[in-house]
Amino acid sequence: MSWRARFTALPFWRSGTSDKPNGSSGLRKILYWSPLGIVLCCRIFEVKVITGRSMQPTLNPDWSLSRDVGLFDRTSVLVDEDIGREDIVVLKSPNDQRRKLIKRIVAVEGDTVNTLPPYPFKKVVVPQGHVWVEGDDYYNSDDSNLFGPVRRFPLCLNPCSNVVQVPRGLIESKLLCLLWPLDRFGAIGNHSPPESRAHPAFRRAMAVIERESARRARVTPGPWPGFSPSQQ
Amino acid sequence: MACFCHLFIEYVGKISLMEGPSMLPTLAVSGELVIEDRLSIHLNPSNISRGELLVLKSPLDSRRLICKRVAGLPGDIVCVDPTGEKAPSTEHVIIPEGHLWIIGDNAPFSRDSRTYGPVSMGLVKAKLRARVWPPTSFQIFRSNMAYID
Repeated sequence: MSWRARFTALPFWRSGTSDKPNGSSGLRKILYWSPLGIVLCCRIFEVKVITGRSMQPTLNPDWSLSRDVGLFDRTSVLVDEDIGREDIVVLKSPNDQRRKLIKRIVAVEGDTVNTLPPYPFKKVVVPQGHVWVEGDDYYNSDDSNLFGPVRRFPLCLNPCSNVVQVPRGLIESKLLCLLWPLDRFGAIGNHSPPESRAHPAFRRAMAVIERESARRARVTPGPWPGFSPSQQ
Repeated sequence: MACFCHLFIEYVGKISLMEGPSMLPTLAVSGELVIEDRLSIHLNPSNISRGELLVLKSPLDSRRLICKRVAGLPGDIVCVDPTGEKAPSTEHVIIPEGHLWIIGDNAPFSRDSRTYGPVSMGLVKAKLRARVWPPTSFQIFRSNMAYID
């Protein structure tokens, strides 16, 4: 068989039955190519169903009938600059590594954060190698993160906080875009200006903008080299 | 094939070169090859006992890997630094759920939990099983050999 015939042959799922009597060659090809598929689907990009209410109303909003499905990028973790403020990331829970959380990065190392009530200190400087993550919905805390800063002093366990400070090493992937509810398909955050003030979408968009500015007002960018405050 | 190798290294284990002074009596400063076992971390992440050698992502820089010995498991009460160098020697910490207390064997030349506190188990990448190079100092690392009490 010439190389041309080899490359224009039938696809692997039919090759077992067509040209060769041995039925195992198709299986062998599947085994041969499956690592490539696994790497593409699990190590580079990932499709995941998002559960839980902690990122409302950005993800899984109340008016949505189904759970959101997102496309996540795992390669951006390799470059520190690719994960910055305002990015939505998937991370391992610091307390239980089998659980995955989805949160928004509010501050990176060196930033000063004005914390929210359950947290024991008013202000916190995010330590080296850490990020400050929060859910978008402060009051809805059924994921109840049980951890404070990962520092030397005893950890403050606040069962009702939606606010966490975690080492970057726990971050697994970054949300690229939403796939499933087709009306919200695409990247997060480009809320188009609403057409009429009477529409409920107008209220929602205004709430999102308000929430965003409140979140940014609580963060003072630090003088840490390498991290410029995101210009938005 | 490259993908298969990547998956094997990522999920089963590999041989890697050790570097740095922080584990000095156990591991030399450079030029030693050890076997990393990632499979057992993936299969049973919470099966870590005191005295084992672990490879972790550094909590200070997520791209660096560090090798340290486990000193405390969740629920243990640990004295931060008995010598009083990095913290007052009376300071004690209860290790929270899902965290570990790690220290280097060469305390003066090690940045470990005394500096950055308990680390999350999610940062653990592998266990060290054996040293394979140089062949004269082949050794299987067991947790009971150098148990820290």
